[in-house]
Amino acid sequence: MAVDTSSAGGAAPVPVRDRRDALWLAGIWVVLSIVCCFLVALVWGPHMPPGAQSTSAASQQFDIRVLGTIATPVILGVFLYFGWAVTFWRKRPGDETDAVPIHGNVRVQSTWIVVTSVIVLFLAAFGTYELIQPAGAGGGEGPQPIWKPPGTTTSSITSWTPGTSNILQIQVIGQQWAWTYRYPQFGGFETTQLAIPVGEPVQFNVTSLDVIHSFWAYTLGVKADANPGVNNVAYTTAYHTGDFQVRCDELCGIWHGAMYDTGEVLSVPNFMAWTKATAIKMASVTKLLPPYALTYDPTTIPAGPINQALGLTSAGGGYYNPADPEQP
Amino acid sequence: MSLPARVATLVVAFLAVVAGVLWVVFDIIGPQPTLENYAPYAKNGAVDITLMTAPQTTVSNKPDWVSYFIKNPATGQFDHTTYFAVPANTKVNVTILGYDGCTPLRNPVWGRVTGVVGDVENVSYFNKGQTSSPQAVSTFDSWANCSVQHTFAIPNLGINVPVASPPTVEENNNLCTTSPCVGNDDDSGTAPHSVVTFSFTTPKTAGTFRWQCFIPCGGGYLDGNGGPMGTPGYMMGQMEVEA
Repeated sequence: MAVDTSSAGGAAPVPVRDRRDALWLAGIWVVLSIVCCFLVALVWGPHMPPGAQSTSAASQQFDIRVLGTIATPVILGVFLYFGWAVTFWRKRPGDETDAVPIHGNVRVQSTWIVVTSVIVLFLAAFGTYELIQPAGAGGGEGPQPIWKPPGTTTSSITSWTPGTSNILQIQVIGQQWAWTYRYPQFGGFETTQLAIPVGEPVQFNVTSLDVIHSFWAYTLGVKADANPGVNNVAYTTAYHTGDFQVRCDELCGIWHGAMYDTGEVLSVPNFMAWTKATAIKMASVTKLLPPYALTYDPTTIPAGPINQALGLTSAGGGYYNPADPEQP
Repeated sequence: MSLPARVATLVVAFLAVVAGVLWVVFDIIGPQPTLENYAPYAKNGAVDITLMTAPQTTVSNKPDWVSYFIKNPATGQFDHTTYFAVPANTKVNVTILGYDGCTPLRNPVWGRVTGVVGDVENVSYFNKGQTSSPQAVSTFDSWANCSVQHTFAIPNLGINVPVASPPTVEENNNLCTTSPCVGNDDDSGTAPHSVVTFSFTTPKTAGTFRWQCFIPCGGGYLDGNGGPMGTPGYMMGQMEVEA
């Protein structure tokens, strides 16, 4: 085996054949990386989930495109090295020699640390910016969101006019096993249908009446846990009309898998007409709902005289009756 | 140990583990409720089906669990099950005999009748041998009045029907004590109960649709949503739509 004794760092000499292999590997890796990065970013990227139906969805898709593009050379490097080793460096019949001893190489180690540090720090900065820039990226920000859509206010939660800075409020209420949606700016009606207007920022106020659910309108890029007694806020703005899917993303009981809806992004005139029609349709039950609030406590209902006479001062549920032998 | 002995030991051990896992799984799942098949009983594009709610399930090993029962179309007896089959594209005329007492809805929005013909249900009450005239009701206020005991809801079809409850304190304190309630009452003859009727049309294609109650009525379980609320054969079930 020919040996090159000019290796840096005082390490063991590098065999000429290994250096030739390294050059081949590097050359193939660079060419493949350039081609594949373009393919991932420009060809596959626009079709990556969750699509681009809203600001938050488009933001998430962009993030996945960037991460996918960065990951492509890494994946190619791993598989290329693996394939090369299996193909060319495997043990030949009759070859009983030992491999070349491995020693430290300052240049290789320094390069590895610098490159990986740069990648990790870049991703940390990029991820933070991408979380802030589209108002939380569609994720639940808790009851007091830090990042809000620019140019929006919550000047009124009892009325809403398209095209103004006052943001549209929609309350998402999880319960085993269905979602209901309340529109406080349109008389406070509650319905099992979810509709939002195109091009208008929306604030989802997500809560639960029983256990923990998770509101996941995945093609809108919105996901927020629904916790009882907690208001979890998420924002988005739809880019175009059409249907979107809503699922529960937190295992919440036997019908968790059936807890899904189809929502709809409507044009602004159609949305206004829908709210008007639905408010009329639901009027008989809207007046029976508790006053609009960010959370609800079913244990404190205004019980009527017969309910009180029967000892029913809370909604159905039992709430850990200590006398019940089947208390968990 | 010889090679065949090792292989045999491995195979036996593997089969033992698989059998143990299957035993645990099937023990947890338990026997499934029987299916009441109403499909052969459809006539002229319609079929009649009768359900019952009972405040207890004395016919099961969970006697303090509230439960639905379904009338067997062949025998006329109420069976402890919540699975039923109906034909596709057929009008289903449902009667629910509501023998349980009232419970306020956790979410009042489920007090509205939706997804059935006319978005109304017809309600009459039976007590002391008398049945009141049926009244069409579209919305129940379960908080102000003792008016709802359970709901019958098929969410994927948009169906929600509150099951009216016996309306007075006296009636709620004299509910039936054994189940099914028909023919098992005190010397008054028949326990107080509501009779709820409504109709809906099944989808044109076959499918399986879950149905459930939206009042968390599993007393003693986390927020009332465990026990009978989450067990097939009690307060939830399936509607098989046959092509």
